[in-house]
Amino acid sequence: MMIEYLITILLIASIYAIFALGLNLEWGFTGLVNFGHVAFLAIGAYTTVLLSLHGVPLFVSVLVGVALAGAFGALLGIPTLKLREDYLAIVTIGFAEIIRLFLLNEEWLTGGPMGVCGYPRPFEDIITGDYNLFMLSVVLSILILCYFMLEKLIKSPWGRVLKSIREDEDVPVSLGKNVFVYKIQSLVLGSMLAGLAGSLLAFYLQYINPRNFMPIETFYAWIAVVLGGSGNNKGTVLGAVILFCFFSATRFTQEYVPLHPTQMGALRIMLIGLLLILFMMYRPEGLFGKKEELML
Amino acid sequence: MLLQLLVNGIVLGSIIALAAIGLSMVYGILKFANFAHGDFLTFGAYLAFVFNVVFGFYFILACAVSVILTAMVGVGCDYAIWRPMRMKNANRVTLIIISIGMALFIRNLIIFMWGADIKRYALPVKRGIEFGTIIITQNQIVEIVVAVACMLLVHYILKKTFIGKAMRALADDIDLAKVSGIDVDRVIRYTWVVGMALASVSGILYGLLANINPNMGWFLLLPMFAATILGGIGNPYGAMAGGIMIGLAQELSTAILPPEYKMAVAFAILIIVLLLRPQGIMGTS
Amino acid sequence: MLSVRDVEKSFGGIRAVNGCSLEVERQSIVGIMGPNGAGKTTLFNIISGFEQPDRGAIVFKGENIEAKNSFEIARMGLIRTFQLTKVLSRMTVEENLLLAPKYQQGERIWNVWLRAREVRREEESNRARAHSLLRLFGLLPLKEEYAGALSGGQKRLLELARALMAEPDMLLLDEPFSGVNPTLGNKLLNHIKELRDRFNMTILIIEHDMHVIMRLCDYIYVLNRGRVIASGTPEEVQNDERVLDAYLGGGQYI
Repeated sequence: MMIEYLITILLIASIYAIFALGLNLEWGFTGLVNFGHVAFLAIGAYTTVLLSLHGVPLFVSVLVGVALAGAFGALLGIPTLKLREDYLAIVTIGFAEIIRLFLLNEEWLTGGPMGVCGYPRPFEDIITGDYNLFMLSVVLSILILCYFMLEKLIKSPWGRVLKSIREDEDVPVSLGKNVFVYKIQSLVLGSMLAGLAGSLLAFYLQYINPRNFMPIETFYAWIAVVLGGSGNNKGTVLGAVILFCFFSATRFTQEYVPLHPTQMGALRIMLIGLLLILFMMYRPEGLFGKKEELML
Repeated sequence: MLLQLLVNGIVLGSIIALAAIGLSMVYGILKFANFAHGDFLTFGAYLAFVFNVVFGFYFILACAVSVILTAMVGVGCDYAIWRPMRMKNANRVTLIIISIGMALFIRNLIIFMWGADIKRYALPVKRGIEFGTIIITQNQIVEIVVAVACMLLVHYILKKTFIGKAMRALADDIDLAKVSGIDVDRVIRYTWVVGMALASVSGILYGLLANINPNMGWFLLLPMFAATILGGIGNPYGAMAGGIMIGLAQELSTAILPPEYKMAVAFAILIIVLLLRPQGIMGTS
Repeated sequence: MLSVRDVEKSFGGIRAVNGCSLEVERQSIVGIMGPNGAGKTTLFNIISGFEQPDRGAIVFKGENIEAKNSFEIARMGLIRTFQLTKVLSRMTVEENLLLAPKYQQGERIWNVWLRAREVRREEESNRARAHSLLRLFGLLPLKEEYAGALSGGQKRLLELARALMAEPDMLLLDEPFSGVNPTLGNKLLNHIKELRDRFNMTILIIEHDMHVIMRLCDYIYVLNRGRVIASGTPEEVQNDERVLDAYLGGGQYI
């Protein structure tokens, strides 16, 4: 029983780690304030699921989901990435809400508030043992792949340009870099990661509806990134793991605490909000970031 | 039919306008977008509910208590959070993220204390008055009257009182205001008082119009930002005009769009303004 | 090399640049002087594409650039520095320099994998060049330090080194001597002269300090209230009444 539980925690934490790594690329490395990251989680999930229900091979469905998430990232980015950070924050949050409204209302496509279920999962028929264990190994492999891909990218000259945009956009501009293109690439790649996480999430949950894609999901990614120290991929992954261990721990204590599940849920998010405030006020480098960097 | 939408639009618009005034002033003076503003709206609505339904106060008294308490909490947040961050010269994004944390905290505190179900004020349900083809409820009339009264009050404060003039000075050029000897911290505190009080009133009115639920303020956030930016950040009159316009646009849009997409209308206006004229229609370049 | 013709720029009601014209010959050091608020930095911003002029033309290497984006102008070989030093604080000194070279293969996202070997080779050669530049400016021991930890004078040198890494045809230096102590200033002066003599660079420099201008510049333009009020060699300008007037009497003060 305990092992089962551990497997599910690791599974969901790994999926959210991929999600958060995408945000870390956009915010931690490029300095883009994206409050609408959940939109791409949703696009990836719904696209994969709906395509596979129409007979498209699963692998292709996932690829299309990822690609579509990236495409929407470009769609969002092209008119808005030149906006100031606070405007970008407002616009991205609006974008995510519009996507959610669409998912909620266009029943003919998305099933509306009832969502979608009964879709195939990868290799469902073949796996005889513990399916969750299989999923975990798949997700972990994907996570590791993404992690190393991002690390290689961020240490490359391309990553260097991203970091320079984060530090002071005027500098790369004055050196001849087309900053806009880099911002778009960062947003598209980050959105593709979110889309991938969305597909995996859909497989894990076996049933998706718009309530899985509320704005709070974006801020789970944000707290993971902040906890780990923005611009630190290892920290982001650890942040996601810590976050979900914390969630599970609170579910454990549920039995011993005289609170209604809704209240426990609310208490959990209150803590997230409090953590965001406290970290940004007193420890902006997160748990694993470098303090010296912030003194500069 | 269209006339009814017009009426609904003005009513909704005045609620957005009231909330946007406070948002705009804080945005203009403190130079950051306060994502928690919507949840203070919700907070005000819930406080009034608690005093009205749970403690049995008269409705008006409950509202007054809510306004005072919300303003106090707003000032408290300034002391505890915003002022220390000002001293550290925190950048815009840090403040925005903190405000998100606040928004999450307040919203879920409300759920924790009073649950997520829909609530209503303890008021008798009254029939609407018919004016030809349109029906106006008594609540809607109260809303418009209160909203107009508040806007006039804000106008009076801004134009006739010293604090009001100081607020306008700060929104214009904070460094110049500091050099002129204005006690900036004090003016900022008053700005929070006015902004939070208006948010509270706005929340109560919204609770009257629809119902009271934990997400009510969050759902008005996008229209509020749209109104603020449309009217020019830091311009309370712009926020008033912007709010009414957004409200009208949202309601009138239901003639051609499904009503669930009202928020999309606010979003569309927001994007268009930001791309074409980011200083708003009443702002200066 | 550079030709500015009748450029005008207003902000709100204020005419920052009011009909300004100047010429910069190849391989010369031209100075721009003027009291605060004369429009010098605005002019720089316009030339380098950070602002668009309301009117006028700017010709660089035979091409009109007044409508071009700043990054496009930089790619053409016109590199500028900033009045308030802009170094990338949370990146190392070395990384600051490595950012500068144009058209790096590794900066294209596909090449990171598809052309990994070429990228590595390019990085190596760029790193070698960066080290020699750092050595020239005496910053080599600091190459692994965060740029934000450097002193003011060191940051200025870093900014200049970074500009040079981009292999410019022309440099726009905005008050490179402000905040720099006299010893370092002397070194910097000689570096800049060397740039013209050894590296065939063309330089347009904004500077306040009369001594520096006298020793450094081949030609000077004096700006006041957004237009050129005097121009000539340092000796000519030094004794020009209008210049003294502008600095001491009729000029704008902040």
